[in-house]
Amino acid sequence: METQQEIIKVEKLVKRYGDFTAVDGSEFSVHNGEVFGLLGPNGAGKTTTLEMLVGLRKPDEGTAIVGGFDITKELDKVKEVIGVQLQSTTLFELLTVDEILHLYGSFYSEHISIPELIDDMLLTEKKNSRIKGLSGGQKQRLAIALALVHDPQIIFLDEPTTGLDPQARRTLWDIILRLKERGKTVVLTTHYMDEAHVLCDRIAIMDQGKLIALDTPSELVRNLQSDSAVEFKFNDEVDIALSEIDGVKQVGSQKDVHILYTDDLQETLTSLIAIASEKQLKLVDLQTRTATLEDVFIHMTGRRLREG
Amino acid sequence: MRSYYLLTLAQLRIFLRNRQVLFWTLAFPIVLMVMLGSFLGNGNGVSITAAVVDQDRSEQSKNLVKEMEKNEALSLEKSSNEKDVLSQLKQGDLTLVITIPKGYGENLYAGNKADPFKLPVYYNETNMAMSQVGLQLVDNAVDTISKKSVSYEPVVITESKGVEALNLRYIDFLVPGIVAMMIMSNNMNGVAGQISSWRERGILRRMQGTTLKASTFIAAQITARFMLNGLQAMIVLAVAWAAFGIEVRGSWLTVIAFVTLGTLAFMAIGFIIAGIAKTPESAGPIAGFLSFPMLFLGGVFFPIRDMPEFLQPFVQILPIAHLSHALRETMNVGASFLDLGMEAMILGGWLIGAFIVASFTFKWE
Repeated sequence: METQQEIIKVEKLVKRYGDFTAVDGSEFSVHNGEVFGLLGPNGAGKTTTLEMLVGLRKPDEGTAIVGGFDITKELDKVKEVIGVQLQSTTLFELLTVDEILHLYGSFYSEHISIPELIDDMLLTEKKNSRIKGLSGGQKQRLAIALALVHDPQIIFLDEPTTGLDPQARRTLWDIILRLKERGKTVVLTTHYMDEAHVLCDRIAIMDQGKLIALDTPSELVRNLQSDSAVEFKFNDEVDIALSEIDGVKQVGSQKDVHILYTDDLQETLTSLIAIASEKQLKLVDLQTRTATLEDVFIHMTGRRLREG
Repeated sequence: MRSYYLLTLAQLRIFLRNRQVLFWTLAFPIVLMVMLGSFLGNGNGVSITAAVVDQDRSEQSKNLVKEMEKNEALSLEKSSNEKDVLSQLKQGDLTLVITIPKGYGENLYAGNKADPFKLPVYYNETNMAMSQVGLQLVDNAVDTISKKSVSYEPVVITESKGVEALNLRYIDFLVPGIVAMMIMSNNMNGVAGQISSWRERGILRRMQGTTLKASTFIAAQITARFMLNGLQAMIVLAVAWAAFGIEVRGSWLTVIAFVTLGTLAFMAIGFIIAGIAKTPESAGPIAGFLSFPMLFLGGVFFPIRDMPEFLQPFVQILPIAHLSHALRETMNVGASFLDLGMEAMILGGWLIGAFIVASFTFKWE
C-alpha cells in the first residue's frame, strides 16, 4: 500500500443542509489505478461526498485534492481530469448516441475517438438511435461513455448499476474492470454488497454522514472474526441471551431478525435448536451463509444496507 | 467555439425532431391570424361595413358620401331607413351607421365656423376595436370635406401620411401583433418550460460536471431560439402576405432588430421563471400568469388606446406592448429604427433588467 500513489485526498469534508449534516468530516484517500467503493445505505452521504468531489456541491468545510488540484480553488482543472456519471441523469432524449458523444466531446479541449468509444461501450448497433429508445443498460453504458469521452484519469460513477437487470449489471461490471485494466482510477458508490465485493479494491463504508470503516473487502470481512452467519426469527417475541449460544462470537439483531456470527456453524446450530426446543420456541426463516460485507455493515451499524 | 456550434445544432435538432411542438407553435399563430383576419378583416381588402343614411340629398352630402367611398377600407351601403340600419348595427351586421341630417348642405354652404355641423355616427360599443378604426375612417373623410370647404391648403405634409396609415385594415394591425405574441410565447413559455424540465431531469447538472461554460450554453440557447423564431416569423409573414397581401413597408433590418430584441427580452424573462419555478409543472402556470394579461392588454389583438384609463400606466410598461407597437410601426407605417428608439430602449431595459434578475435566480439544479 505504501508504494501506492495518492490521486484523491479528501480532507475533513463537511456538508450541511440546515440542521442536517449530510457529510460529517470525511477523510480518506484514493490510490492511483484502484477501484474505490463508497458503500452505505440511502442517505448515508455517499452521493453528497461524490458530488462535492466532482464540483457539483460546495463543501461547507474541508476540501479535497483530486488529480493534483484543489476542488475548492481549481475546479476547472479538476473537471478536465475527471469523468462523471451521475445518479439518474437523463440526457437529451431526441439526440442520437453519436450526436451526444460528439456534443459532450466538444465541451473539452480534447476528446478520444468517438467510434472507438462507442465500440468499447458495446453501443455500435445503437450508434444512430435516439437516446429515447435505449434500454436501461444501454443508457447507463452511454452515461459512462460520456464520462470517458475526454479520456480522464479518474472516473466517478454514482450507483452505476441501480435499477438494472442482472445481465446488464454484469456487462457493466466488465466495463468497469476493463477501465481498471487500462490504469484508470474509478470511484463508485453502491449499496450492493456483491458489486462492491467484485469490483472494489478498497471500500469505504459510510453511515449517517460518517466514514465508519475503510479497507479491502476481504479484510473487512475478516475483521468480523467469523466465517458464517446464522439468520432466523422466532415466531414469538422472546428474551433470551443469544450470545450464550455455543460458538457465537457476535450477535447482530435488528427488529425481529437475529443474526449469529460463528466460526463453528454446526456447534452453533445444534445449540440454537436445543435452546429453541427447550423453551418451546419455533424458529422461522432459518438460514446459514458465509459472512459478507452486508454482515460487516450490520455489525458496525446495527442496520441493514437496504431497509425492507 | 465548437461546443457553441454543436450545442446550437443540438438545440435545433431537438426542435426539429419534436414535430408536435414545432407544428403547434407554428399552427397556433397562423390559425389565429387567418381566423381573426377572415372574420374581422372581412377577407381580402375591405374591413369596415358602414351604412350611410342621406337625409339631406344635397350636392354637398353626395360629395361627402363620395369622399367616404374613396377609402377602400370602408364599404358603404346606402339606405334611406335609419331605423333599419340601426337595428342591423345592433346585430353586428354593420360596423357603423352615418346619418347625414337635413340641412347639412346648407350649413356647409354657410360655413359657420363657430358652430360646426354635427354629423351623427352610430357604432356598436360591443365591437370597440373595429368601430374605432371605422370612426377614424369617417373622421378622415369629414376632415377632407371640411378642409375643402374652407379651401384649406395643407402646409403640414404629415397629414397625408396620416391618411395612409388610416387606410389600414384590421389584419394589418393584427399580423405584427401575432408575430409579437409568437415571440413572447415561444421564448418566455418555451425557455421556462424547457430549462425547468432539463433541470428537473438532471440534464443541466450533468453539463455542469464538464468544463462547459454556462455562457456558452446560454449563447447557444439564444442562437438556436433566435434562428427558430426568425424562421417562424418569416413563415407567419409569408402566410400573411399570401393570404392577406400584408407587406413590410419599413426596413427588414428593423423588423429583424426588433425580433432579436424581443427574443432576448422574453428569453431572459423565461430564465427568471425557470429560476423561480420549483418544478416544470409549475413553470407552465407561472408563464401563463404573465403571458395572458400581456396577450390581452399588450396591444396584440386590440389597440392599447381602447384599454380603460386606469390600466394605461400598467399597459405602457409591458414589453409586449412595445414589441408589437414597434413591429406595427415598421411593417405598417414604415418607421425606421431611429423613430422607434423609445421602444428599443424600453425593450432593452427589460432585457437588461430581466437578465440581471435571471442571473440571481438561475439555478443549475
